[in-house]
Amino acid sequence: MNKELPPGLALQKVDERIMTLNVGPQHPGSGHMRIIVQIDGDFIVACDPDPGYVHRGEEKMAEYRNYITNIPHLERPVIHDSCNILYPYVLGVEELLGIEVPERAKYIRVIASELNRCVYTMYWLAIYGIFLGHSTMFMWPAGDRELLIDLLEKMTGARVTHAHFVPGGVRNDLPPNFEDVCLRQVNYFEKRIKEYAAIFYDNPILISRTANTGVLSREDAIRLGTTGSVLRASGVDYDLRKKEPYDVYDELDFQTNVLKEGDSYARSKIPWLDMMESCRIIRHALQKMPKSGSVRVKLKPNPKGGDASVYKRVESGRGSLGCYIVSDKKPEPYRVKLSVGSFRNLIALPYLLKGEKLGNMPSVYWSLNYWPVEADR
Amino acid sequence: MSSDSDNEPIETTSDVEPVSKTSPSLEKEIELPKFEKGLADKIVEKFGSRTKVAFVKPDRVRINVGRDDVKEVAKFLRDVLSFDHAESVSGVDYPQDKEIEVVYHLGSYTDSSLSRQILVLATRAQREENPIPGNDATKLPSLREIFYSVEFHEREIFEMFGVYFQGHPDNRRLLLPEDWADLPPLRKDFAIKGR
Amino acid sequence: MSVIAPNFKFSEFVKSILDNVFWILLIFALIGLPAVQVILFYVEMPVIDGELLTPFLALTWLADPSRTLPILKAFMNTDLFRIAAFPGFGFAALIAAGTIFIERKMLAKLQLRVGPFYCGKVEGILQLMGDGLKLISKEIIIPAKADKPIFWAAPIIFVATAAAFVALIPVAPGWVVADVDVGLLAVFAIIGFFPIITILSAWSSNSKFPFIGGIRALHQMVSFEIPLILSLLGVVILTGTLNLSEIVASQSNFPWIIFLPIGAIIFFITILAELERIPFDLPEAESEIVAGWLTEFSGMIYGLVQLGTYLKLYAFAALFVVLFLGGWTGPMIWPPFPEEIITDGIVMGPITAKIPGLPVFSQEMLNGVVWFVIKTMGVIFFILLPRGVFPRIRIDMLLSLGWYKLIGLAFVNIFIALGLLYAGVLGPGGIL
Repeated sequence: MNKELPPGLALQKVDERIMTLNVGPQHPGSGHMRIIVQIDGDFIVACDPDPGYVHRGEEKMAEYRNYITNIPHLERPVIHDSCNILYPYVLGVEELLGIEVPERAKYIRVIASELNRCVYTMYWLAIYGIFLGHSTMFMWPAGDRELLIDLLEKMTGARVTHAHFVPGGVRNDLPPNFEDVCLRQVNYFEKRIKEYAAIFYDNPILISRTANTGVLSREDAIRLGTTGSVLRASGVDYDLRKKEPYDVYDELDFQTNVLKEGDSYARSKIPWLDMMESCRIIRHALQKMPKSGSVRVKLKPNPKGGDASVYKRVESGRGSLGCYIVSDKKPEPYRVKLSVGSFRNLIALPYLLKGEKLGNMPSVYWSLNYWPVEADR
Repeated sequence: MSSDSDNEPIETTSDVEPVSKTSPSLEKEIELPKFEKGLADKIVEKFGSRTKVAFVKPDRVRINVGRDDVKEVAKFLRDVLSFDHAESVSGVDYPQDKEIEVVYHLGSYTDSSLSRQILVLATRAQREENPIPGNDATKLPSLREIFYSVEFHEREIFEMFGVYFQGHPDNRRLLLPEDWADLPPLRKDFAIKGR
Repeated sequence: MSVIAPNFKFSEFVKSILDNVFWILLIFALIGLPAVQVILFYVEMPVIDGELLTPFLALTWLADPSRTLPILKAFMNTDLFRIAAFPGFGFAALIAAGTIFIERKMLAKLQLRVGPFYCGKVEGILQLMGDGLKLISKEIIIPAKADKPIFWAAPIIFVATAAAFVALIPVAPGWVVADVDVGLLAVFAIIGFFPIITILSAWSSNSKFPFIGGIRALHQMVSFEIPLILSLLGVVILTGTLNLSEIVASQSNFPWIIFLPIGAIIFFITILAELERIPFDLPEAESEIVAGWLTEFSGMIYGLVQLGTYLKLYAFAALFVVLFLGGWTGPMIWPPFPEEIITDGIVMGPITAKIPGLPVFSQEMLNGVVWFVIKTMGVIFFILLPRGVFPRIRIDMLLSLGWYKLIGLAFVNIFIALGLLYAGVLGPGGIL
């Protein structure tokens, strides 16, 4: 039996008690990612995430397109949160080119960004319900999010992949009578998500399944470099919209939701609380928005940056999203790097799952606010 | 538009505020942002000529260090200046300089005065024309013991650029398929077919 | 060629007619004739009005409308009818089909959507038929290393066991397929068989996910059997009999749920666990183990498992009704059969048709059936409801529930029953 192994392979002794389970890409509990889980009875001994099933080479392809044609390209990682993905890129290009954005455009950008955040969070909540086996928790958010997608369709023309932000502002102005429709729908939306408390967040089985599982302490959350709702559920008060405000966030009033427990229940509750804050932001922005004005600064064709590099970051539904652009004097960027919240939170997964029960795996895994497509880019 | 070029490390530069596109010739001595200048000064004070401050912009300070000093500088940044995590780690390929640059963006959650700041730490690794896999000089020390959060980022740079991180516990592919046998994709000599 | 049917060829038309004739003759010869032989030689003929019914007499009497009803009534008293149609398999399958429809519609309304809509003119009522046809037409894929005899046999045994369970439930006074004196004990024995079938089908699939699912199903069903049996002991103590029909008869004044509410609640929870309904559906539809022990079943095998599951659902709900809610007892809401039709016959103008043998079913029987169905549907509604409200429970929470909390409550229930008995309130020789 001692035949020569092909080069590059090694023999590894396997413990008989441990079973390796491929929670693979074709699995109702994994999203588009493979998690190789080694279990001993009911306890997870080791976990090895294997992303990359949806890797499309966005960053490489971005080097072949110029700054403007990169916009529909770079919004693809999260299609329903596309405004937030584009936001740091657009802000970076504006800094490279030295453009000042008109006031009305800034408000429209803020409104679109918050609507996108809500749309993404509802989808995430729906999948969380599926992972826990709660089909109503899938149907209600998926249905209520249609209200906001409808608004975005009025605003940008597309339900997802909006491609609305351009360097210099937004592509089009709001349609007439948008403010009233938006206010009405956002108010109804807020009423609906307040009802989620009774059926989801006060549901005793949901609480007993997610509370005290996957506890991430404050020091570990900082050390692992997590971001977004994972960080705020562990007690760190860090929200980029407050710490490094971009566009008009410093003029709108909202609060950051922080919970201290750091378990899956807290991580699943923070996005829901954030959605209610988003509704406040939208209402306030609609009030303060200048009623007329230009929404775009016209650019010369084929804008070129100089020899510079910028790093801009934005708070999206999953956490802080950064874009590092290196430009030389060509119309195409030299390097575009997206630093996405999902990829940064992924390191918490093997850390948290060690020693967890197998039954907790879906709830811990998805509570990290992980979007597989974005992490792979 | 910032007229700095940070391909070559330079000493403290004059910062032109990004207002208009047409002021490359105006080299006014504008006040550098004080807090960021303070950070840059602390680093220069400790390490002297081993590090070069590339630029000092509002909320962004960039330090270029050589390959051999990057671990010390990182430890200083973590312990003294209390930067505690890496926001992003990216690689940039410069085939004309025959170097691959690895850029760490470091942030801080614990220190509230630093919550807006990002410190950009850049090192360079040599790049060979025809590398022999497993035996080339494109190596960098890994910062994983200092900043735990760079683990997956460094794995991604390893597979995308071919930079081997010494001291990283798990230099393995992350996003690419296991049977990828081509050049590291984000290098400039890897061309997408059809373009 | 004609304009109406441009591809019409007369020779092909003749050929198709001859084909049909051939097939009809073949089927008649291969199936019809043996069926007639079976009836003639093996099926016991009933005695009607003092005459033994021969097939010849049966055929002639069927033609005479005044004599069809005694034949039908005699036929309905045979075992075959009881097993196949009412109150056995046919009745249970009908209630199961109704349950599936109600479940899908009710869940849909809870979740702000519509549910089945297109199949069938009225609110998607034929959706189940569509799904059944789809399952029949699918290929049955068996894993290469699976244990084939057990893999094929396990779903069939599952349906058979569920049908055996259905056979013990009394629906109306005198209408039960198997009237055994130890009916409740037989129920316990059959319930104890289900985990074995589950683990057999999981093991024979020879794959990791069914393995985990089967082990979890085993844990779940075994740990909830003890509270199930203990919670029913209260009823047995108070009625003093294990015969299900007698238990129903003893509830003619009041149902047992009034005196043993804790037992009823425990029994209801264990029903949810034995049926693998949400919130206890760990073994089946999981997000960690794909579909649990059902993963490798496809096509009609999956259809059989679903049929068995819904038969089990009906049987458990019916058991709850029989034991705690009074079975078929209830105030008389069925109108009595008009006396004139029995004595004078149906009068339609100048024609009077005398139809002996009416009424086919007695008024008590129909009233009992109506009450039974109403109560069973009520219990089924409450079994279906948690699906829209709760997520799935975890295995360790389930085990602690079954082994600690429910057994403790069941003992409390037994003490209550014993107290009521020895205080002389209930039971034989009691006040009530």
